[in-house]
Amino acid sequence: MIRFDKVTKTYPGQKRAALDRVDLEINKGEFVFLVGSSGSGKSTFLRLILREARPTSGHVYVAGKEINKLSSWKVPKLRRQLGTVFQDFRLLPNKTVFENVAYALEVIGKPRDEIKRLVPETLDLVGLDGKGHRRPDELSGGEQQRVAIARAYVNRPMILIADEPTGNLDPTTSVGIMKLLDRINREDTTVLMATHDSSIVDQMRKRVIELDEGRVIRDEARGIYGYEN
Amino acid sequence: MRAILNELRASLTRNTSMTISLIVTMSVSLLLASLGLLIQAQAERTEQYFGDRLQLQVNLCTKNSPAATCVGGAATDEQKQAVQTALQDNPEVKDFAVRSPKENYAQARELLGQTDTGRKQLETLGVDSFPESYFVTLKDPQQFDGVVSEVSGMDGVGNVNSLRDLLGPLFEMLDKMQWAALATAGLLIIAAILQVSNTIRMTAFARRREIGIMRLVGASSWHIQAPFVLESLVAAFISAALAAGGLAAFMHFVVYGYLRDTLGRITTWVRWEDAFLVMGMTTVLALLLALVPTFVMTRKYLDV
Repeated sequence: MIRFDKVTKTYPGQKRAALDRVDLEINKGEFVFLVGSSGSGKSTFLRLILREARPTSGHVYVAGKEINKLSSWKVPKLRRQLGTVFQDFRLLPNKTVFENVAYALEVIGKPRDEIKRLVPETLDLVGLDGKGHRRPDELSGGEQQRVAIARAYVNRPMILIADEPTGNLDPTTSVGIMKLLDRINREDTTVLMATHDSSIVDQMRKRVIELDEGRVIRDEARGIYGYEN
Repeated sequence: MRAILNELRASLTRNTSMTISLIVTMSVSLLLASLGLLIQAQAERTEQYFGDRLQLQVNLCTKNSPAATCVGGAATDEQKQAVQTALQDNPEVKDFAVRSPKENYAQARELLGQTDTGRKQLETLGVDSFPESYFVTLKDPQQFDGVVSEVSGMDGVGNVNSLRDLLGPLFEMLDKMQWAALATAGLLIIAAILQVSNTIRMTAFARRREIGIMRLVGASSWHIQAPFVLESLVAAFISAALAAGGLAAFMHFVVYGYLRDTLGRITTWVRWEDAFLVMGMTTVLALLLALVPTFVMTRKYLDV
C-alpha cells in the first residue's frame, strides 16, 4: 500500500537530511504508529505520502503508484484515496458538521444524492448521529476530531493518515478517538498515525515505526512507544 | 458546479470593497482605452475622407469653378488625360488614385448630412457640383513644390491642396489625444492588474483553510481555481459593461449631441457601429486583463 525505497529527503538550504535512506513497506489493512521526537522526520514522511513534497532520491509508492513520477494533474486523484486528520481538526467554522463533511465530497464533484447518503452514514459511524446541524464551536474537542475523521473517511479512502490526532485531547477522549480509528482500520482501511502519545501506542499494540534524525531506528510488529525492558 | 457557485458567492460577499475598487479601476481604464480606440477610428475615418495625410489632392474643374484655369467649365477628357499624364511622368510622384465626382458627392452627402444646414445645402448640390480628384502620393512627402507648380497651372485643374498643410493640425491633435488616452489607460491597466493580483492574494489568504482542505481531499486544480476565475470574470464583465455605458454616453452626448452638429463640416464623425466595434474590443481586453493575471496568480498563491 505504501512503500519507501531508499528515500532521502533534504530540504533546500539544509545540510542534514529530513529523511535518510528510509526503506520500508506498509501493507493494506495495517495499523501503523509513526513515533519519534520532534524533528525526527515524521512530518516529512507524511508529506511525501501526500505528495506535498518530493524525495531528493529514492522512490515512494502509494496505492501502487510511484508518486514522484506522478504528474501534477494526477495528484488530486491520488489524494482522493487518502484521508487526512490533523491535531488542530481544521474544520470550517462557518459550516455545520454536515456541511464540513459534505464539503470534502462537493469539491471533488460527487453527486448530491450520493452526498446525502454518505454524510449521514459517516456521521453515524463516527458517533455524531443527530449532530449534523451543529457548528464546530458548539462541539467538544473530541467531537470536533470526530468530524475531522468523518471528513477524511467519507470518501472511503484506502489510507487514513492521522497526524497527532489526539494531541489536543484529554486521555479519555483520546481513547474514544483511537477506538474509532481502530474501527475504521477494521473496515480494511490502512491507518498511519504519527503520535507522541505513549499510552495509546502502548495500549494498542500495533506496528510501531520509530524515526530518529530521519532514519528508521525501530520497526516492530506489535510494539510499544519506547523500548521494552 | 453548485459548490463552485457557492464559493463564488461567498468570495464576492467577503471581498465586496476590493471587488468594487477593482471594477472602478478596470472600468475607468477600459473607458480610456475605448476612447483611445475611438479616436483612432476617427483618425482613420478622417483619413479615408480626405485621403492620406501626406498626399496632394488635385481637384479638376467643375462647371462652376472660379479658377482662371477653369474658364472652359468642367474639365474635358483631354484635360483630364493631360493632368494624369503629367502626374505619371513627374519623377516626384509615386502613384495617384482617382476619385470620381460621384464618389466625391457621396462623401459630401455623408459629411453634410450630419447637420441641418448641411442637409439643406445638399438640396442645391448634384453630382456635377463635384470635381474629379486625384490623390497623389509623393516619393518624398516633403518634396511637393514641383508637382504643385506643374499641375496647378494646367487647364482643367481647379485647385491643388496639400493635405499635409490642411489636415496636419487636426491629425496632430487626434494623435495626441489618442496617445494621451492610451497612455493613461495603460497606467490604469497596470493598476488594475496589480489589483487583480492583490485581490487574489487576499482572497487566497482569507480562504486558506478551505483551499488547504480542498487540496487535501483531492479537489482538482480547476475546482480550486474556479471561484477565483469566476470572480475575475464577473468583475471583468461588469467593468466592460460600465465602460461600454460610458462610451455610449460619450457617443450620445458628445459625438451625436455636439460634434456632428457643431463641427460637422470639418470631417465625418465616428458612428455607432464604430463604437460597437470598440466596445467588443474592450470587452475582449477586459477578459484578458482579468483572466491572465488570475491564472498566473492562482498558480502562484494556491500552489495548484
